[in-house]
Amino acid sequence: MTGKAFLFELLIPVIKIVAVILYPMIMVVVMIWLERRVVAWIQGRIGPNRVGWQGILQPFADAFKLFFKEDIIPREADKLLFNIAPILVMFSTLLAFCFIPLGESFRIGTYTLHLRIADSPVGLLLVLGLSSIGVFGIIFGGWASNSKYPLMGALRSVIQILSYEIPIGLTVLTVVFLSRSMDLVRIVESQREGGVWFGLLMPVSFVVFWISGIAETNRAPFDLPEAENELVAGYHTEYSGMKFAYFYIAEYAHMVLVSSLVVILFFGGWLPPFPSIKAFAFLHWIPGFVWYLIKIMFFLYLYVWIRATFPRYRFDALIKLVWKWFIPLSLANFLVVVALRYVL
Amino acid sequence: MNKVRRFLRAFFLVDIVQGLSITLRHYFGRKVTVQYPEVVKSLPPRFKGMLRLFRDEAGEPLCIACKACQRICPSHCFDIEGVRPEGSKVMRPTKFDWKLDRCTFCGLCVEVCPTDAIRFSETFRMSALGKDKLHFHLPDMYLRGEELQSHLCSGCLK
Repeated sequence: MTGKAFLFELLIPVIKIVAVILYPMIMVVVMIWLERRVVAWIQGRIGPNRVGWQGILQPFADAFKLFFKEDIIPREADKLLFNIAPILVMFSTLLAFCFIPLGESFRIGTYTLHLRIADSPVGLLLVLGLSSIGVFGIIFGGWASNSKYPLMGALRSVIQILSYEIPIGLTVLTVVFLSRSMDLVRIVESQREGGVWFGLLMPVSFVVFWISGIAETNRAPFDLPEAENELVAGYHTEYSGMKFAYFYIAEYAHMVLVSSLVVILFFGGWLPPFPSIKAFAFLHWIPGFVWYLIKIMFFLYLYVWIRATFPRYRFDALIKLVWKWFIPLSLANFLVVVALRYVL
Repeated sequence: MNKVRRFLRAFFLVDIVQGLSITLRHYFGRKVTVQYPEVVKSLPPRFKGMLRLFRDEAGEPLCIACKACQRICPSHCFDIEGVRPEGSKVMRPTKFDWKLDRCTFCGLCVEVCPTDAIRFSETFRMSALGKDKLHFHLPDMYLRGEELQSHLCSGCLK
């Protein structure tokens, strides 16, 4: 191997690793800004608009503030678990981004560049598994704080995430069933071959997945684990400074992850709308990555929009919703999809 | 029947879409925030700002050092002394100390003043870095000329 090729082989993974860490971080920054501005606008306010152009530097100002804050560990806390918890939450979310493709592979000269780090035939399963590992961080954080509110928040979070995993699994199964693969790139490719986004083909799957995804990320109206008026701040009540920032960033990164997943599974990833119709062929001129980002931004916006619209669920209503409605619904949906797939 | 209708509305996300459309309307709606340091909200006519001694149109002070405000003030904000100048019919204050840090803006002094000399102005930025900055003496209590007009509240405008 020549020196130049060796350098190329070495450099590309390094750039990819940097990109896979930077990409969620940039999206998180955008998301924090977007959330504060959009929620403010919906409430008739203006929102942060002083730091930088239209307040775009506000998340950085927040981060700097958190960075220089005192790092407090409660006296009776379990120090090891208390310190591990934010790292675990962050790690699981960032690791999941390794399996999320950012676009289709393209060739530079003789080199084929895959826009993801890990090429896995079971990428979908890994992403779902890793996003569930984050629950451990929440349990550890809640338990190790040795305080009642974090513990209550952590308990709620665990019940909620475990319950909502089931409809997520069942709806993902329909997508896997249609595309006959758990490879995320393969799923997008099969939507290109099918000529229609799975979200339009299976609206029930999409809606159940999306609502469960909101619950999975502990977002309003399912933000019971951090219900401010009941639990102070939920599982991260006792955290301050950078450790709190870790939880905060991980929550937003998780939202980006779920949005990416929704786009890939149900809205054709980097495919333009109507990928197979000739009349819309001009949409292919816009690069796939741009389509992908537009779709992700739409779903991130939807997250904020939903947060600003709906009041928080009561806890028993939340559990009732998933066990009495979503699980039977997604199960029936799966059976219908299977039946139709074999009939047609 | 009602139950079925409610179920169908929920199942086809009618209610959710309705809610989202309401918030979307507000998203593009008018914003009520006033960008404070650049834009100051117009104050209500009976706004209770900083207390000021006022002058009449000729520029003569209205205060006759009767100490009615000093007597009625529940928190003892005032310290007033006055003398009658040569050839004058009325007294004039020689000392008029007002302690902002004690004032509760109850307005009793304004009500009791027989010559309407002491009134609320529209100055509301009253923060200071030291307690001594909150003690006002005779010269700062007066407002002159245009400054007076700009600080007159609409109820006091003559």
